[in-house]
Amino acid sequence: MVRALYILLCFLMVGTVSAQTRQYAVSFVPCYGDNILTAGDTYAAAGIDTVQVTTLRFYISGIELMRQETSVWKEANSYHLLDMEEPSSMHLALNIPNGLAFDAIKLRLGIDSITNVSGAMGGELDPTKGMYWSWQSGYINFKLEGTSPACATRKHEFQFHLGGYAGAQNSMQTVVLKVNDKDGVAISLDIKKFLSGIDLHTTNSIMIPGPNAVALSRKVVGSFSIGP
Amino acid sequence: MRRTVLCICVLWAVAVAFAPAGKALFKVPKGWPRPVYDLSHNPLSEKKILLGRALFHDPILSADSTISCVSCHLQYSAFTHVDHKLSHGIAGHIGRRNSPTLMNMAWGTQFMWDGAVNHLDMQPLAPIAHPDEMAFAADSVVLRFRRSDVYKRLFYEAWGDSDITGERFLKSMAQFMLTLVSSNSKYDKVMRHEDNAAFTPQEANGYRLFRANCEACHKEPLFTTNGFANNGLPIDTGLNDMGRMGVTGRPADSLLFKIPTLRNIEFSYPYMHDGRFSKLRDVVEHYATGIEYGPTLSPELRKPIMLSPNEKVDLVAFLLTLTDRGFLFDTAFSFPVDVLGR
Repeated sequence: MVRALYILLCFLMVGTVSAQTRQYAVSFVPCYGDNILTAGDTYAAAGIDTVQVTTLRFYISGIELMRQETSVWKEANSYHLLDMEEPSSMHLALNIPNGLAFDAIKLRLGIDSITNVSGAMGGELDPTKGMYWSWQSGYINFKLEGTSPACATRKHEFQFHLGGYAGAQNSMQTVVLKVNDKDGVAISLDIKKFLSGIDLHTTNSIMIPGPNAVALSRKVVGSFSIGP
Repeated sequence: MRRTVLCICVLWAVAVAFAPAGKALFKVPKGWPRPVYDLSHNPLSEKKILLGRALFHDPILSADSTISCVSCHLQYSAFTHVDHKLSHGIAGHIGRRNSPTLMNMAWGTQFMWDGAVNHLDMQPLAPIAHPDEMAFAADSVVLRFRRSDVYKRLFYEAWGDSDITGERFLKSMAQFMLTLVSSNSKYDKVMRHEDNAAFTPQEANGYRLFRANCEACHKEPLFTTNGFANNGLPIDTGLNDMGRMGVTGRPADSLLFKIPTLRNIEFSYPYMHDGRFSKLRDVVEHYATGIEYGPTLSPELRKPIMLSPNEKVDLVAFLLTLTDRGFLFDTAFSFPVDVLGR
Protein backbone atom coordinates (compact mmCIF):
# COMPACT_ATOMS: atom_id res chain seq x y z
CA MET A 1 0.00 0.00 0.00
CA VAL A 2 2.76 2.37 1.04
CA ARG A 3 4.71 1.24 -1.98
CA ALA A 4 1.78 1.95 -4.28
CA LEU A 5 1.43 5.41 -2.80
CA TYR A 6 5.16 5.96 -3.26
CA ILE A 7 4.98 4.97 -6.94
CA LEU A 8 1.96 7.20 -7.41
CA LEU A 9 3.89 10.07 -5.81
CA CYS A 10 6.80 9.48 -8.16
CA PHE A 11 4.50 9.62 -11.15
CA LEU A 12 2.95 12.81 -9.88
CA MET A 13 6.37 14.42 -9.41
CA VAL A 14 7.56 13.48 -12.88
CA GLY A 15 4.28 14.81 -14.18
CA THR A 16 4.80 18.10 -12.37
CA VAL A 17 8.33 18.52 -13.69
CA SER A 18 7.40 17.86 -17.28
CA ALA A 19 4.32 19.98 -16.86
CA GLN A 20 6.41 23.03 -16.04
CA THR A 21 7.60 23.63 -19.59
CA ARG A 22 6.47 22.69 -23.03
CA GLN A 23 7.81 23.12 -26.50
CA TYR A 24 6.46 25.67 -28.88
CA ALA A 25 7.67 25.12 -32.42
CA VAL A 26 8.58 28.04 -34.67
CA SER A 27 9.25 26.95 -38.22
CA PHE A 28 10.43 29.12 -41.06
CA VAL A 29 9.23 28.11 -44.50
CA PRO A 30 10.96 29.72 -47.48
CA CYS A 31 8.45 30.12 -50.29
CA TYR A 32 8.30 31.49 -53.77
CA GLY A 33 4.76 32.74 -54.09
CA ASP A 34 2.54 29.71 -53.55
CA ASN A 35 5.40 27.22 -53.84
CA ILE A 36 7.85 25.97 -51.26
CA LEU A 37 11.26 27.34 -52.23
CA THR A 38 13.81 24.70 -53.20
CA ALA A 39 17.45 25.50 -53.90
CA GLY A 40 18.23 25.31 -57.60
CA ASP A 41 14.62 25.14 -58.83
CA THR A 42 13.55 27.68 -61.42
CA TYR A 43 10.68 30.03 -60.65
CA ALA A 44 8.89 32.48 -62.87
CA ALA A 45 9.64 36.08 -61.99
CA ALA A 46 8.11 39.34 -63.13
CA GLY A 47 7.69 39.54 -66.91
CA ILE A 48 9.38 36.72 -68.78
CA ASP A 49 12.27 36.36 -66.34
CA THR A 50 13.06 33.46 -64.10
CA VAL A 51 14.83 33.15 -60.76
CA GLN A 52 16.89 30.44 -59.11
CA VAL A 53 17.92 30.66 -55.48
CA THR A 54 21.17 28.96 -54.45
CA THR A 55 21.72 30.31 -50.93
CA LEU A 56 19.36 31.56 -48.26
CA ARG A 57 20.77 32.07 -44.77
CA PHE A 58 19.73 34.50 -42.08
CA TYR A 59 19.92 35.24 -38.38
CA ILE A 60 16.85 35.28 -36.16
CA SER A 61 17.49 36.65 -32.68
CA GLY A 62 15.83 38.08 -29.60
CA ILE A 63 12.70 35.93 -29.73
CA GLU A 64 9.92 37.11 -27.40
CA LEU A 65 6.33 36.10 -26.90
CA MET A 66 3.77 38.84 -26.38
CA ARG A 67 0.32 39.12 -24.91
CA GLN A 68 -1.64 42.26 -25.66
CA GLU A 69 1.53 43.97 -26.83
CA THR A 70 3.39 43.17 -23.61
CA SER A 71 6.33 40.81 -23.49
CA VAL A 72 5.50 37.69 -21.43
CA TRP A 73 8.51 35.51 -22.28
CA LYS A 74 12.01 36.00 -23.67
CA GLU A 75 14.28 33.30 -24.99
CA ALA A 76 17.67 33.27 -23.26
CA ASN A 77 20.75 33.63 -25.46
CA SER A 78 18.45 33.87 -28.46
CA TYR A 79 20.59 33.69 -31.61
CA HIS A 80 19.70 31.34 -34.45
CA LEU A 81 21.39 30.90 -37.81
CA LEU A 82 18.89 29.55 -40.33
CA ASP A 83 20.06 27.94 -43.54
CA MET A 84 17.79 26.71 -46.31
CA GLU A 85 20.26 23.93 -47.07
CA GLU A 86 20.06 22.60 -43.51
CA PRO A 87 16.33 22.01 -43.06
CA SER A 88 16.68 21.27 -39.34
CA SER A 89 18.02 24.78 -38.78
CA MET A 90 14.71 26.19 -40.04
CA HIS A 91 12.79 24.69 -37.12
CA LEU A 92 13.22 26.31 -33.72
CA ALA A 93 11.81 24.82 -30.54
CA LEU A 94 11.05 27.28 -27.75
CA ASN A 95 10.89 25.83 -24.23
CA ILE A 96 8.15 27.90 -22.69
CA PRO A 97 6.30 27.67 -19.36
CA ASN A 98 3.24 25.50 -19.53
CA GLY A 99 0.06 27.48 -19.51
CA LEU A 100 1.72 30.59 -20.90
CA ALA A 101 -0.83 32.56 -22.86
CA PHE A 102 0.31 34.77 -25.71
CA ASP A 103 -1.00 36.14 -28.97
CA ALA A 104 2.08 37.31 -30.86
CA ILE A 105 5.74 36.54 -31.45
CA LYS A 106 8.39 39.23 -31.70
CA LEU A 107 11.68 38.51 -33.35
CA ARG A 108 14.61 40.27 -34.91
CA LEU A 109 16.07 39.66 -38.31
CA GLY A 110 19.81 40.01 -37.70
CA ILE A 111 22.23 40.63 -34.86
CA ASP A 112 22.08 43.53 -32.41
CA SER A 113 24.81 46.18 -32.35
CA ILE A 114 26.15 45.27 -28.89
CA THR A 115 26.85 41.71 -30.06
CA ASN A 116 28.40 43.14 -33.23
CA VAL A 117 31.07 45.00 -31.26
CA SER A 118 31.80 42.44 -28.54
CA GLY A 119 34.52 40.35 -30.18
CA ALA A 120 34.60 36.69 -31.11
CA MET A 121 31.59 34.59 -30.11
CA GLY A 122 30.92 30.89 -30.30
CA GLY A 123 28.14 28.61 -31.53
CA GLU A 124 25.78 30.14 -34.07
CA LEU A 125 27.64 33.43 -33.76
CA ASP A 126 31.04 31.97 -34.65
CA PRO A 127 32.43 34.48 -37.17
CA THR A 128 33.80 31.71 -39.38
CA LYS A 129 30.31 30.48 -40.34
CA GLY A 130 30.23 32.60 -43.48
CA MET A 131 27.89 35.18 -41.98
CA TYR A 132 30.52 37.69 -40.87
CA TRP A 133 32.21 40.28 -43.02
CA SER A 134 35.99 40.19 -42.98
CA TRP A 135 36.88 43.48 -44.64
CA GLN A 136 34.66 45.49 -42.31
CA SER A 137 33.52 44.14 -38.96
CA GLY A 138 29.91 43.08 -38.64
CA TYR A 139 27.52 40.20 -39.07
CA ILE A 140 25.68 39.55 -42.31
CA ASN A 141 22.09 39.46 -41.10
CA PHE A 142 20.58 38.04 -44.26
CA LYS A 143 22.16 36.39 -47.27
CA LEU A 144 20.31 35.57 -50.48
CA GLU A 145 22.16 34.42 -53.57
CA GLY A 146 20.96 33.06 -56.87
CA THR A 147 20.74 33.61 -60.59
CA SER A 148 18.35 35.27 -62.97
CA PRO A 149 18.69 36.03 -66.68
CA ALA A 150 17.65 39.56 -65.70
CA CYS A 151 21.03 40.13 -64.05
CA ALA A 152 23.60 41.65 -66.36
CA THR A 153 26.35 40.09 -64.26
CA ARG A 154 28.83 37.27 -64.56
CA LYS A 155 26.83 34.02 -64.82
CA HIS A 156 23.70 36.15 -64.22
CA GLU A 157 24.31 35.98 -60.48
CA PHE A 158 22.70 38.15 -57.83
CA GLN A 159 23.94 38.50 -54.26
CA PHE A 160 22.25 40.26 -51.39
CA HIS A 161 24.34 40.28 -48.23
CA LEU A 162 22.44 42.53 -45.87
CA GLY A 163 24.05 43.80 -42.68
CA GLY A 164 25.39 46.85 -40.89
CA TYR A 165 24.92 47.72 -37.23
CA ALA A 166 26.23 51.26 -36.65
CA GLY A 167 23.95 54.28 -36.50
CA ALA A 168 22.03 54.93 -39.71
CA GLN A 169 23.57 51.77 -41.21
CA ASN A 170 21.83 49.55 -38.67
CA SER A 171 19.88 47.08 -40.79
CA MET A 172 18.56 44.79 -38.06
CA GLN A 173 14.78 44.62 -38.20
CA THR A 174 12.18 43.80 -35.58
CA VAL A 175 8.98 42.12 -36.60
CA VAL A 176 5.86 41.18 -34.62
CA LEU A 177 3.55 38.49 -35.97
CA LYS A 178 0.18 37.42 -34.61
CA VAL A 179 0.19 33.75 -33.59
CA ASN A 180 -1.90 31.36 -31.55
CA ASP A 181 -0.36 29.77 -28.52
CA LYS A 182 -1.16 26.13 -29.33
CA ASP A 183 1.62 23.86 -30.60
CA GLY A 184 3.53 26.14 -32.88
CA VAL A 185 3.64 28.44 -35.79
CA ALA A 186 4.94 28.35 -39.35
CA ILE A 187 6.36 31.63 -40.62
CA SER A 188 6.75 31.82 -44.34
CA LEU A 189 9.37 33.95 -46.03
CA ASP A 190 8.21 34.74 -49.53
CA ILE A 191 11.21 35.41 -51.77
CA LYS A 192 8.91 36.35 -54.64
CA LYS A 193 7.51 39.13 -52.52
CA PHE A 194 11.01 40.19 -51.49
CA LEU A 195 12.21 40.35 -55.10
CA SER A 196 9.10 42.13 -56.33
CA GLY A 197 9.91 45.74 -57.01
CA ILE A 198 13.64 45.03 -57.23
CA ASP A 199 14.93 45.51 -60.74
CA LEU A 200 17.50 42.70 -60.87
CA HIS A 201 18.93 44.22 -64.01
CA THR A 202 20.29 47.16 -62.01
CA THR A 203 20.08 46.02 -58.37
CA ASN A 204 21.77 42.65 -58.12
CA SER A 205 24.66 43.04 -55.73
CA ILE A 206 24.27 44.64 -52.31
CA MET A 207 27.15 43.59 -50.08
CA ILE A 208 27.95 46.61 -47.95
CA PRO A 209 26.15 48.38 -45.10
CA GLY A 210 24.22 51.49 -46.07
CA PRO A 211 20.81 52.79 -47.14
CA ASN A 212 20.26 50.00 -49.70
CA ALA A 213 20.95 47.29 -47.14
CA VAL A 214 18.56 48.94 -44.69
CA ALA A 215 15.80 49.28 -47.30
CA LEU A 216 16.16 45.67 -48.46
CA SER A 217 16.20 44.41 -44.87
CA ARG A 218 12.83 46.09 -44.39
CA LYS A 219 11.62 44.27 -47.52
CA VAL A 220 12.73 40.95 -46.00
CA VAL A 221 10.65 41.35 -42.85
CA GLY A 222 7.82 42.59 -45.04
CA SER A 223 7.99 39.19 -46.74
CA PHE A 224 7.38 37.29 -43.50
CA SER A 225 3.86 36.09 -42.90
CA ILE A 226 2.07 33.49 -40.86
CA GLY A 227 1.66 30.82 -43.37
CA PRO A 228 -0.04 28.83 -45.17
CA MET B 1 73.27 17.00 8.57
CA ARG B 2 69.73 17.45 9.77
CA ARG B 3 70.40 21.14 10.25
CA THR B 4 71.68 21.45 6.69
CA VAL B 5 68.54 19.81 5.34
CA LEU B 6 66.40 22.12 7.46
CA CYS B 7 68.37 25.12 6.25
CA ILE B 8 67.89 24.09 2.64
CA CYS B 9 64.18 23.57 3.24
CA VAL B 10 63.82 27.01 4.82
CA LEU B 11 65.78 28.65 2.02
CA TRP B 12 63.68 26.88 -0.57
CA ALA B 13 60.46 27.96 1.16
CA VAL B 14 61.66 31.56 1.32
CA ALA B 15 62.70 31.46 -2.32
CA VAL B 16 59.32 30.10 -3.41
CA ALA B 17 57.46 32.62 -1.31
CA PHE B 18 59.31 35.61 -2.71
CA ALA B 19 59.93 34.51 -6.29
CA PRO B 20 57.60 36.27 -8.74
CA ALA B 21 54.77 33.87 -9.56
CA GLY B 22 55.89 33.55 -13.17
CA LYS B 23 56.02 36.59 -15.47
CA ALA B 24 52.65 38.31 -15.47
CA LEU B 25 50.94 37.58 -18.79
CA PHE B 26 49.68 41.12 -19.14
CA LYS B 27 50.55 44.15 -17.06
CA VAL B 28 49.29 47.70 -17.39
CA PRO B 29 52.41 49.88 -17.43
CA LYS B 30 52.69 52.40 -14.61
CA GLY B 31 50.62 55.50 -15.28
CA TRP B 32 48.81 54.10 -18.30
CA PRO B 33 45.03 54.08 -18.69
CA ARG B 34 42.95 50.95 -18.29
CA PRO B 35 42.99 48.71 -21.37
CA VAL B 36 40.05 48.98 -23.76
CA TYR B 37 40.06 45.23 -24.39
CA ASP B 38 37.91 43.38 -21.85
CA LEU B 39 40.28 40.70 -20.57
CA SER B 40 37.47 38.98 -18.66
CA HIS B 41 35.92 38.16 -22.06
CA ASN B 42 39.09 36.28 -23.02
CA PRO B 43 41.22 35.46 -19.94
CA LEU B 44 44.86 35.08 -20.89
CA SER B 45 46.76 31.82 -20.45
CA GLU B 46 50.28 30.90 -21.43
CA LYS B 47 49.10 28.10 -23.72
CA LYS B 48 46.59 30.28 -25.52
CA ILE B 49 49.18 33.00 -26.04
CA LEU B 50 51.58 30.37 -27.39
CA LEU B 51 48.90 29.11 -29.79
CA GLY B 52 48.28 32.69 -30.94
CA ARG B 53 51.99 33.21 -31.40
CA ALA B 54 52.26 30.09 -33.54
CA LEU B 55 49.30 31.23 -35.65
CA PHE B 56 50.86 34.67 -36.04
CA HIS B 57 54.05 33.18 -37.46
CA ASP B 58 52.51 30.37 -39.54
CA PRO B 59 51.71 30.76 -43.26
CA ILE B 60 48.96 28.16 -42.75
CA LEU B 61 46.59 31.15 -42.66
CA SER B 62 47.04 31.91 -46.37
CA ALA B 63 45.51 30.12 -49.36
CA ASP B 64 48.79 28.74 -50.67
CA SER B 65 50.60 28.65 -47.31
CA THR B 66 53.13 31.29 -48.31
CA ILE B 67 52.05 34.33 -46.31
CA SER B 68 51.92 34.64 -42.53
CA CYS B 69 51.04 37.65 -40.41
CA VAL B 70 54.77 38.19 -39.99
CA SER B 71 55.17 38.61 -43.75
CA CYS B 72 53.82 42.14 -43.37
CA HIS B 73 54.30 42.61 -39.62
CA LEU B 74 57.95 41.99 -38.75
CA GLN B 75 58.93 42.36 -35.15
CA TYR B 76 62.20 44.24 -35.78
CA SER B 77 60.31 46.98 -37.61
CA ALA B 78 57.68 47.39 -34.89
CA PHE B 79 55.52 44.76 -36.62
CA THR B 80 55.08 46.60 -39.87
CA HIS B 81 56.29 45.84 -43.40
CA VAL B 82 59.74 47.34 -43.42
CA ASP B 83 60.84 49.29 -46.47
CA HIS B 84 57.62 48.76 -48.45
CA LYS B 85 55.40 51.71 -49.19
CA LEU B 86 52.44 49.47 -49.94
CA SER B 87 52.53 46.02 -48.41
CA HIS B 88 52.52 43.00 -50.67
CA GLY B 89 50.81 39.70 -50.00
CA ILE B 90 50.01 36.50 -51.80
CA ALA B 91 51.67 35.87 -55.19
CA GLY B 92 53.35 39.27 -55.02
CA HIS B 93 50.06 41.18 -55.09
CA ILE B 94 50.48 44.76 -53.91
CA GLY B 95 47.94 46.11 -51.44
CA ARG B 96 46.72 49.67 -51.22
CA ARG B 97 48.12 50.65 -47.83
CA ASN B 98 51.22 50.44 -45.69
CA SER B 99 50.72 47.74 -43.07
CA PRO B 100 50.15 49.31 -39.63
CA THR B 101 52.52 48.72 -36.71
CA LEU B 102 51.27 46.34 -34.05
CA MET B 103 51.72 47.29 -30.41
CA ASN B 104 49.70 48.26 -27.36
CA MET B 105 46.57 46.92 -29.04
CA ALA B 106 44.89 46.29 -25.71
CA TRP B 107 44.29 50.06 -25.73
CA GLY B 108 43.03 50.14 -29.33
CA THR B 109 39.41 50.90 -30.11
CA GLN B 110 39.25 50.35 -33.87
CA PHE B 111 41.77 48.71 -36.12
CA MET B 112 43.14 49.23 -39.63
CA TRP B 113 43.93 52.66 -41.12
CA ASP B 114 40.22 53.31 -41.65
CA GLY B 115 38.92 51.65 -38.47
CA ALA B 116 37.05 49.02 -40.48
CA VAL B 117 37.63 46.41 -37.78
CA ASN B 118 35.81 47.05 -34.52
CA HIS B 119 37.45 44.54 -32.17
CA LEU B 120 40.89 43.01 -31.82
CA ASP B 121 39.38 39.50 -31.99
CA MET B 122 38.08 40.17 -35.49
CA GLN B 123 41.23 41.72 -36.91
CA PRO B 124 42.78 38.54 -38.39
CA LEU B 125 39.66 37.93 -40.52
CA ALA B 126 40.46 40.93 -42.72
CA PRO B 127 43.95 40.01 -44.00
CA ILE B 128 43.00 36.33 -44.25
CA ALA B 129 40.14 37.07 -46.64
CA HIS B 130 41.73 39.92 -48.58
CA PRO B 131 42.51 38.75 -52.14
CA ASP B 132 45.84 40.62 -52.14
CA GLU B 133 46.94 39.47 -48.69
CA MET B 134 46.19 35.87 -47.70
CA ALA B 135 43.32 35.23 -50.13
CA PHE B 136 41.76 32.55 -47.96
CA ALA B 137 38.54 32.03 -46.02
CA ALA B 138 38.24 31.87 -42.25
CA ASP B 139 36.13 28.70 -42.31
CA SER B 140 38.74 26.97 -44.51
CA VAL B 141 41.46 28.00 -42.07
CA VAL B 142 39.56 26.33 -39.23
CA LEU B 143 39.23 23.14 -41.32
CA ARG B 144 42.99 23.20 -41.89
CA PHE B 145 43.63 23.36 -38.13
CA ARG B 146 41.33 20.36 -37.64
CA ARG B 147 43.52 18.33 -40.00
CA SER B 148 46.84 19.48 -38.55
CA ASP B 149 48.48 17.36 -35.85
CA VAL B 150 50.40 20.39 -34.61
CA TYR B 151 47.27 22.51 -34.21
CA LYS B 152 45.13 19.67 -32.85
CA ARG B 153 47.68 19.46 -30.03
CA LEU B 154 48.07 23.23 -29.56
CA PHE B 155 44.31 23.84 -29.46
CA TYR B 156 43.81 20.94 -27.07
CA GLU B 157 46.52 22.20 -24.73
CA ALA B 158 45.20 25.74 -24.87
CA TRP B 159 41.47 25.13 -24.60
CA GLY B 160 41.20 21.83 -22.76
CA ASP B 161 39.29 19.81 -25.35
CA SER B 162 39.45 18.84 -29.00
CA ASP B 163 36.94 21.36 -30.30
CA ILE B 164 38.60 23.70 -32.79
CA THR B 165 36.37 26.69 -33.57
CA GLY B 166 36.61 30.10 -35.15
CA GLU B 167 35.99 31.69 -31.77
CA ARG B 168 38.94 29.88 -30.17
CA PHE B 169 41.18 30.60 -33.14
CA LEU B 170 40.43 34.33 -33.03
CA LYS B 171 40.63 34.62 -29.26
CA SER B 172 44.02 32.88 -29.22
CA MET B 173 45.35 35.28 -31.83
CA ALA B 174 43.99 38.22 -29.82
CA GLN B 175 45.79 36.92 -26.73
CA PHE B 176 49.14 36.95 -28.48
CA MET B 177 48.50 40.43 -29.88
CA LEU B 178 47.51 41.70 -26.42
CA THR B 179 50.94 40.74 -25.12
CA LEU B 180 52.66 43.06 -27.65
CA VAL B 181 53.13 45.88 -25.16
CA SER B 182 55.84 48.44 -25.78
CA SER B 183 56.46 50.63 -22.72
CA ASN B 184 60.20 50.61 -22.09
CA SER B 185 61.64 53.25 -24.38
CA LYS B 186 64.02 55.92 -23.18
CA TYR B 187 61.02 58.26 -23.05
CA ASP B 188 59.26 55.87 -20.64
CA LYS B 189 62.33 55.59 -18.43
CA VAL B 190 62.68 59.36 -18.29
CA MET B 191 59.01 59.70 -17.36
CA ARG B 192 59.32 57.01 -14.66
CA HIS B 193 62.64 58.42 -13.38
CA GLU B 194 64.20 55.02 -13.96
CA ASP B 195 67.90 54.13 -14.31
CA ASN B 196 68.87 57.83 -14.02
CA ALA B 197 67.46 58.25 -17.54
CA ALA B 198 67.40 61.83 -18.77
CA PHE B 199 66.75 63.56 -22.09
CA THR B 200 69.68 65.31 -23.74
CA PRO B 201 69.07 69.07 -24.16
CA GLN B 202 68.19 68.38 -27.81
CA GLU B 203 65.67 65.66 -26.91
CA ALA B 204 64.22 67.84 -24.17
CA ASN B 205 63.67 70.65 -26.64
CA GLY B 206 62.15 68.15 -29.07
CA TYR B 207 59.77 66.97 -26.34
CA ARG B 208 58.75 70.57 -25.66
CA LEU B 209 58.02 71.07 -29.37
CA PHE B 210 56.16 67.77 -29.49
CA ARG B 211 53.93 68.78 -26.62
CA ALA B 212 53.22 72.12 -28.26
CA ASN B 213 52.50 70.83 -31.77
CA CYS B 214 51.79 67.08 -31.89
CA GLU B 215 50.36 66.05 -28.52
CA ALA B 216 46.73 66.86 -29.41
CA CYS B 217 46.54 63.84 -31.73
CA HIS B 218 49.52 61.75 -30.62
CA LYS B 219 48.51 61.76 -26.98
CA GLU B 220 50.83 60.31 -24.36
CA PRO B 221 51.43 57.70 -23.14
CA LEU B 222 50.06 55.74 -26.14
CA PHE B 223 50.97 58.50 -28.59
CA THR B 224 47.54 58.32 -30.21
CA THR B 225 44.03 59.35 -29.26
CA ASN B 226 42.71 56.33 -31.21
CA GLY B 227 40.89 58.90 -33.32
CA PHE B 228 40.81 59.56 -37.07
CA ALA B 229 42.15 62.67 -38.74
CA ASN B 230 42.96 64.25 -42.07
CA ASN B 231 46.59 65.28 -41.61
CA GLY B 232 46.77 67.31 -44.79
CA LEU B 233 48.32 64.77 -47.13
CA PRO B 234 47.53 65.55 -50.76
CA ILE B 235 45.49 62.66 -52.16
CA ASP B 236 47.41 60.07 -54.17
CA THR B 237 45.37 60.00 -57.36
CA GLY B 238 46.75 56.58 -58.21
CA LEU B 239 45.11 55.13 -55.10
CA ASN B 240 42.20 57.51 -54.45
CA ASP B 241 42.00 56.21 -50.91
CA MET B 242 39.26 58.13 -49.10
CA GLY B 243 40.09 56.52 -45.74
CA ARG B 244 37.45 56.46 -43.02
CA MET B 245 34.68 57.56 -45.39
CA GLY B 246 34.93 54.16 -47.06
CA VAL B 247 33.66 52.63 -43.83
CA THR B 248 31.12 55.14 -42.58
CA GLY B 249 29.91 56.58 -45.89
CA ARG B 250 30.00 60.05 -44.29
CA PRO B 251 31.55 62.87 -46.36
CA ALA B 252 32.87 64.38 -43.09
CA ASP B 253 35.13 61.30 -42.85
CA SER B 254 36.71 61.85 -46.26
CA LEU B 255 40.52 61.49 -46.14
CA LEU B 256 40.52 60.69 -42.43
CA PHE B 257 42.90 57.94 -41.34
CA LYS B 258 43.61 56.45 -37.97
CA ILE B 259 46.10 58.42 -35.91
CA PRO B 260 48.97 55.96 -35.51
CA THR B 261 51.09 55.59 -32.41
CA LEU B 262 54.57 57.09 -32.71
CA ARG B 263 56.21 54.48 -30.52
CA ASN B 264 59.14 52.73 -32.22
CA ILE B 265 58.77 55.12 -35.12
CA GLU B 266 62.52 54.95 -35.74
CA PHE B 267 62.06 51.45 -37.15
CA SER B 268 58.59 51.58 -38.69
CA TYR B 269 59.45 53.43 -41.90
CA PRO B 270 58.12 54.21 -44.42
CA TYR B 271 55.46 56.48 -42.92
CA MET B 272 51.78 57.37 -43.46
CA HIS B 273 48.95 55.10 -44.63
CA ASP B 274 50.52 54.82 -48.08
CA GLY B 275 54.14 54.84 -46.94
CA ARG B 276 54.87 57.96 -48.93
CA PHE B 277 57.60 59.29 -46.61
CA SER B 278 60.72 57.22 -46.06
CA LYS B 279 62.49 59.50 -43.57
CA LEU B 280 61.32 61.03 -40.30
CA ARG B 281 62.57 64.40 -41.47
CA ASP B 282 60.19 64.15 -44.45
CA VAL B 283 57.33 63.61 -41.99
CA VAL B 284 58.27 66.64 -39.91
CA GLU B 285 58.71 68.67 -43.11
CA HIS B 286 55.19 67.69 -44.20
CA TYR B 287 53.67 69.10 -41.02
CA ALA B 288 55.78 72.25 -41.28
CA THR B 289 55.31 73.07 -44.95
CA GLY B 290 53.29 70.42 -46.80
CA ILE B 291 49.77 70.65 -45.36
CA GLU B 292 47.01 70.69 -47.97
CA TYR B 293 44.04 72.70 -46.75
CA GLY B 294 40.88 70.73 -47.48
CA PRO B 295 37.42 70.80 -45.90
CA THR B 296 38.10 67.86 -43.58
CA LEU B 297 41.60 68.93 -42.50
CA SER B 298 42.16 68.36 -38.80
CA PRO B 299 41.42 71.61 -36.87
CA GLU B 300 44.77 71.24 -35.08
CA LEU B 301 46.58 71.64 -38.40
CA ARG B 302 44.74 74.71 -39.66
CA LYS B 303 47.24 76.95 -37.93
CA PRO B 304 50.66 76.43 -39.53
CA ILE B 305 53.28 74.69 -37.44
CA MET B 306 56.34 76.92 -37.52
CA LEU B 307 59.63 75.10 -36.93
CA SER B 308 63.17 76.31 -37.49
CA PRO B 309 65.63 73.88 -39.10
CA ASN B 310 67.17 73.21 -35.68
CA GLU B 311 63.78 72.61 -34.13
CA LYS B 312 62.96 70.05 -36.81
CA VAL B 313 66.11 68.16 -35.92
CA ASP B 314 65.29 68.38 -32.21
CA LEU B 315 61.80 67.02 -32.80
CA VAL B 316 63.22 64.02 -34.62
CA ALA B 317 65.72 63.52 -31.79
CA PHE B 318 62.79 63.29 -29.38
CA LEU B 319 60.93 60.82 -31.62
CA LEU B 320 63.97 58.54 -31.50
CA THR B 321 63.57 58.30 -27.70
CA LEU B 322 60.36 56.33 -28.37
CA THR B 323 62.38 53.33 -29.52
CA ASP B 324 61.94 50.31 -27.25
CA ARG B 325 64.64 47.80 -28.13
CA GLY B 326 63.48 45.40 -25.46
CA PHE B 327 60.18 45.17 -27.35
CA LEU B 328 61.70 44.95 -30.82
CA PHE B 329 63.96 42.08 -29.82
CA ASP B 330 61.80 40.34 -27.19
CA THR B 331 62.14 36.61 -27.91
CA ALA B 332 58.69 36.03 -26.39
CA PHE B 333 57.25 37.40 -29.65
CA SER B 334 59.59 35.67 -32.09
CA PHE B 335 59.07 32.54 -34.20
CA PRO B 336 58.15 29.68 -31.82
CA VAL B 337 60.70 27.10 -32.96
CA ASP B 338 59.62 24.69 -30.19
CA VAL B 339 56.10 24.31 -31.56
CA LEU B 340 56.43 24.99 -35.26
CA GLY B 341 59.82 23.34 -35.69
CA ARG B 342 61.35 23.90 -39.09
